[in-house]
Amino acid sequence: MGGCLSDTKGAKEAVGGGSQNQNQIATTSNSNDAVEFFYTSQGFQPLFTQVQLSLSACNLLDLDIASKSDPMVVVYAKKEGGKLEELGRTEVITNCLNPEWIHKITIAFQFEIVQPLVFLVYDIDTAYHGVATKTLKLKDQQFLGEASCTLSEIVTKPSRRLTLKLQSKRGNSSQRNLGAITIHAEETVAAKTAVEIIFRCSHLDNKDTFSKSDPFLRISRMVESGGSVPICKTEVIDNNLNPKWKPVCLNSQQFGSKDNPLVIECFDFNSSGNHVLIGKLQKSVAELEKLYQEKTGTNFVMPSTHHKQEKVLKGKLFVDQYCEKEQFSFIDYISSGFELNFMVAVDFTASNGNPQQSDSLHYIDVSGRLNSYQKAIMEVGEVIQFYDSDKRFPAWGFGGKIPGGTISHCFNLNGSPSSSEVVGVEGIMDAYAGALRSVSLSGPTLFGPVINMAAKMAAESLSSYNSTKYFVLLIITDGVVTDLQETINAIVKASDLPLSILIVGVGNANFTSMEVLDADNGRRLESSTGRVATRDIVQFVPITEVQSGHISAVQALLEELPDQFLTFMRSRDISPFPSHFPHSSS
Amino acid sequence: MSRSIEITIISSENLQENKKALKGNTFVTVQCDGNRDEMSTTKVDSEGGSYPSWNEKLVMDVPLHARFITIEVKCKTRGNSSSSIGMARIPVSDFIGGYVPENQLQFLSYRLWDNKVSRNGIVNISIRVKVSQNNYCSNSMSSAVNGVPVTGVPVAGNGSTRVVTGIPAAWLNYQRNI
Repeated sequence: MGGCLSDTKGAKEAVGGGSQNQNQIATTSNSNDAVEFFYTSQGFQPLFTQVQLSLSACNLLDLDIASKSDPMVVVYAKKEGGKLEELGRTEVITNCLNPEWIHKITIAFQFEIVQPLVFLVYDIDTAYHGVATKTLKLKDQQFLGEASCTLSEIVTKPSRRLTLKLQSKRGNSSQRNLGAITIHAEETVAAKTAVEIIFRCSHLDNKDTFSKSDPFLRISRMVESGGSVPICKTEVIDNNLNPKWKPVCLNSQQFGSKDNPLVIECFDFNSSGNHVLIGKLQKSVAELEKLYQEKTGTNFVMPSTHHKQEKVLKGKLFVDQYCEKEQFSFIDYISSGFELNFMVAVDFTASNGNPQQSDSLHYIDVSGRLNSYQKAIMEVGEVIQFYDSDKRFPAWGFGGKIPGGTISHCFNLNGSPSSSEVVGVEGIMDAYAGALRSVSLSGPTLFGPVINMAAKMAAESLSSYNSTKYFVLLIITDGVVTDLQETINAIVKASDLPLSILIVGVGNANFTSMEVLDADNGRRLESSTGRVATRDIVQFVPITEVQSGHISAVQALLEELPDQFLTFMRSRDISPFPSHFPHSSS
Repeated sequence: MSRSIEITIISSENLQENKKALKGNTFVTVQCDGNRDEMSTTKVDSEGGSYPSWNEKLVMDVPLHARFITIEVKCKTRGNSSSSIGMARIPVSDFIGGYVPENQLQFLSYRLWDNKVSRNGIVNISIRVKVSQNNYCSNSMSSAVNGVPVTGVPVAGNGSTRVVTGIPAAWLNYQRNI
């Protein structure tokens, strides 16, 4: 979101503060309650708590020639047989050998299981800055070192903090010092209240010679065991000694309690990574609220190295806006009667290969072995069946030649001329198998007609006065789109409706055009008529053949859906129904 | 004959002038192609720089034959003059007669183009089409929502003569509480 600073390739963007543009309210919850809810309902309830890992490192190797390394950490869980499952990635910190990452990694701590974790640190090539971290191909990046431990080792430490020496791959004990990584674990708490604050500064010290300072704020929370954990940083404002930043949204999980002291540091941004401290101060959220009410500023101080005294600076921090909000979670809506309705569309284009041949993604094996599409339907179906309220899915196919000889870009999968609905995952599987027998693969690949059909259904629900329905279109495809702009036009047109589109990629085709549709790099989709997508409604999930280091299907599918759902509901001021909302009474 | 629309000019993003981020003092004018003499103007935003926000609601009439409304972001220069930063032509069909039922709030964003026909930022707006009750009677919905029989009032619609559209949401919540 809001990543328009292409010249600095992401380094100047805000992190963790839920930068808010227009009606796009970023949810600030780091944990994904949709995933949690899925697991608890599967009977994992008392067995785990969610834990959040904060990462920092020191003395990393410097692999860049002209500047310093640009590190990012990827966290994996080591499963049985040594298979690595990716849990998440931090942001990239540019030009820094002692980074403190702001993005937290959330993991379910299961008490009775040994959960080995592996941390891989990479130097991200400058060419990839500003690219969404989850789409980065790690083999293109330089490896800085790895460390492993078990989750319980961190959690059982009194400080809940563990420092590990980084090693080169395969335990290759070269004597070179690769630096160390520190992991700090904290239990996550449900965070419903959030504060939105607009910070402004005046009379900041000038740290640049030829121009004025380029200030940004970094906010850290003091933790009980000592030290502090960074929770957000603002965007950089160029060349300005009296800057005013975009609103920062912090939830109670990030700032702890209102009386918990926060360290607010103001830095001058330098592209070399040596950000110069302009001043710092310590205030709790309650004190910030007071600053807002009294409309007074507070002075920054500069810690002095040799004396114990701090030097009070001329620069001041003001709070121009302060408001507290109650943030409802995805589960608050779902459990109070809001419905998710899933729709399924299957790719019947010829690029999938002839179904008679065994290398086809649509190959029907007489022995009953599932093909790539069937596997994807089963895997995804389990998740959507859980969240769908009536388990009835409209199901379509596209890009196939239907009986009668015409090519259709949106035909009913069950072959019925009137109703596209099928019941349950079995219903989808049966309709799919039936369609494969009667429909011959053709082309071109157009998503537009299917998206338009889904958009029409989503729009119809808006006309009922209490729109409690949200729609999710699942497109299962091999990813080769003939007319990308046609698809973009359809997505942009649907971007203001209660609709999300999950594109599930099967096979090993080139999915780069799918990643264009999934606007994770902050660039909003633009239709050929000049309309810009109101919000990101697309998520792309590749379900490639058994691949090591892949995020589990549940996690991947539900990753962006709650945020997309909440953005829609909040833009229209829709709240969950209070009568079905037991938590609010406490 | 015309329809009345409420158009809220929310904000703009990434505005530039001569390839540099705009300093500020921006405002927006809105005009309809079938109605040249009526032009609405927002207040000036001086704080937002290249990311101004106005959040200003304007009400305007859109004649039935109108095909576009034109939004122009301008920058106040010295004296009373102003320079154009970028404009967007919004097809009326984007918010009337599409999938979305009338009287619904719609959030729309558009690419702005400057005088040299190059891209210059984005404008974010919301639009609600107000349908006068004399011209239209209510569009029929089901007369029961979630099994609760509903007494409705004609609110909006597109030509059908049947009654009952919706009921206030607060009232519905009250029903659920019982």
